[in-house]
Amino acid sequence: MAKISSARLEAYRYLLPGLLFLLVVFLLPLAYAVGITFFRWSLLRPDLGIRFQGLKNYLTVLSDPFTYETLGRTLIFVAGAVLLEMVLGTAISLLLNRGFRGNALVQSVLLVPFMMAPIVVGFTWRFLLNNNFGPLPVLFMRLGLTGLMDPPLLANQHLVLLVLIIVDIWQFTPFVVLVLLAGLKALPAEPYEAAVVDGAGAWQRFRLITLPLLRPAVLVAVVIRTLTALRIFDTVMIMTGGGPGSSSEVLSFYGYRLAFQSYEMGLAGTVGVLTMGLALLFTLFYIKRVGVDT
Amino acid sequence: MKRTSAAAKILSLGAITLIMVWTLYPLAWVLLTSFKPPADQFRPVWLGFAPTLDNYHAFFSNSEFARSLLNSLIVTGLAVLVSLVLGTPTAYALARFRMRGKPAVMIFVLLARMTPPVVLVIPFFLLARKMGISNTYLALVGMGSFLSVPFVIWMMRGFFAEIPFAIEESAVVDGCSRTQALLRVVLPLAAPGLAATAVLCALLVWNEFLFALVLSGADTRTLPVLVNMFVSEKSVEWGTMSAAGMITVLPLIVFGLVAQKHLVRGLTMGSIK
Repeated sequence: MAKISSARLEAYRYLLPGLLFLLVVFLLPLAYAVGITFFRWSLLRPDLGIRFQGLKNYLTVLSDPFTYETLGRTLIFVAGAVLLEMVLGTAISLLLNRGFRGNALVQSVLLVPFMMAPIVVGFTWRFLLNNNFGPLPVLFMRLGLTGLMDPPLLANQHLVLLVLIIVDIWQFTPFVVLVLLAGLKALPAEPYEAAVVDGAGAWQRFRLITLPLLRPAVLVAVVIRTLTALRIFDTVMIMTGGGPGSSSEVLSFYGYRLAFQSYEMGLAGTVGVLTMGLALLFTLFYIKRVGVDT
Repeated sequence: MKRTSAAAKILSLGAITLIMVWTLYPLAWVLLTSFKPPADQFRPVWLGFAPTLDNYHAFFSNSEFARSLLNSLIVTGLAVLVSLVLGTPTAYALARFRMRGKPAVMIFVLLARMTPPVVLVIPFFLLARKMGISNTYLALVGMGSFLSVPFVIWMMRGFFAEIPFAIEESAVVDGCSRTQALLRVVLPLAAPGLAATAVLCALLVWNEFLFALVLSGADTRTLPVLVNMFVSEKSVEWGTMSAAGMITVLPLIVFGLVAQKHLVRGLTMGSIK
């Protein structure tokens, strides 16, 4: 493609500034993050210093039942949110793909939730659910669902994770819809015409033609949603603080709490690195299935 | 080709209405509350109050609040600028030059984007403390640029790849240097893409909370950090905080609607066009 001479040298001149920047602000901190997992480092006990202790942090974290509880909650949240978002997102995108007057307006409205700062989304839902000042408890009362008010939903250890899932669904189903709509627009018309000639019904057309052809878009939506759901922090922080008890404590909140409430940098780093491991699995899957060369 | 019955039409219209109500309900509540007079803030009613701008006035007359809006503007503006300047040439190189190790570079950039913040928040905090740059714009702009550079590289690479190479080749034949060709011929053609990328980067930086929480202090607090701080307190001023919430989300919603066309492409790192 590039036929101009001394191209290689020139290429690096363009390439390097951005990459060097990422080296400094990403790769070095990442190495630092991995490095501190081998040390005992408590900011509350500077007298103990920073002591090398091999893999002890990993043993501590991996032998603590709380880690697995947190991991379990995180996976329930991620699986629940992503699955429901995909199902709802597919249904809504098919509905919108039929084309009607006002379609553009509807799609614009759908952009709004995922452009909102998650911290404001969390504030909004906390407000909506407030037993004294929020409109949803009024609605619950009218519908006779007073069980949802006592204890308040955000203080209900059985339902709080579900509430966080619903908030995530509110914010990110529109994202899935827009990705799938883009995928649907690119589908060829011929297979459908042939299917109609062959007498295939609507469900058959969806299952045998739309779904297989839409697979790449579905894959992109699933992987990106999984990776972003895995890092959920903001809404947990402002809505529940991980509570009640630790019933909404997810991995990133656990790591944050270890670092900035217990000031155990080594342990916090270890939880972070384990979370990174999970994210890495999904990223590799993405690279393998979607590819890096578009 | 397809004949839809009247019943199906009504059904889908109903479904769409339901989706719109569900989507707008939370935002509408906060928007209305932001116009409620103090006396009505603590009543869960939708209507029946005399709208006032008191809450917005309270926001702007509180120097801490106004400061955080300014902080958000400065940090976002600078971070977007820095990441466009750093990322665009890299994207250009990846789109235009043949070189070994290109997939490795792309994967490295993707990793920077996909890494969970909880891994990096600890080194960011410790390194900023060690370098004495906690609670400075430098730390926050650096953080914002870290968020957006990978994004600029992936997005702009796609936009550059869509511009025919022959156009800049002829500019070079006419005596332009490569850089001149990039600045005078290629960039103007990629301007819509550049604008969309800038908007999406602004969205990333403006909405960022965890990194900003850990790196900022009283002088550099951004809007999301401020909202969190005042909502975590025991007695929440729902009216003022609703105004703060609207001030945080409205500018970005407007920008986002402007860049609507490229939004999906950006949010999927270019894999869906």
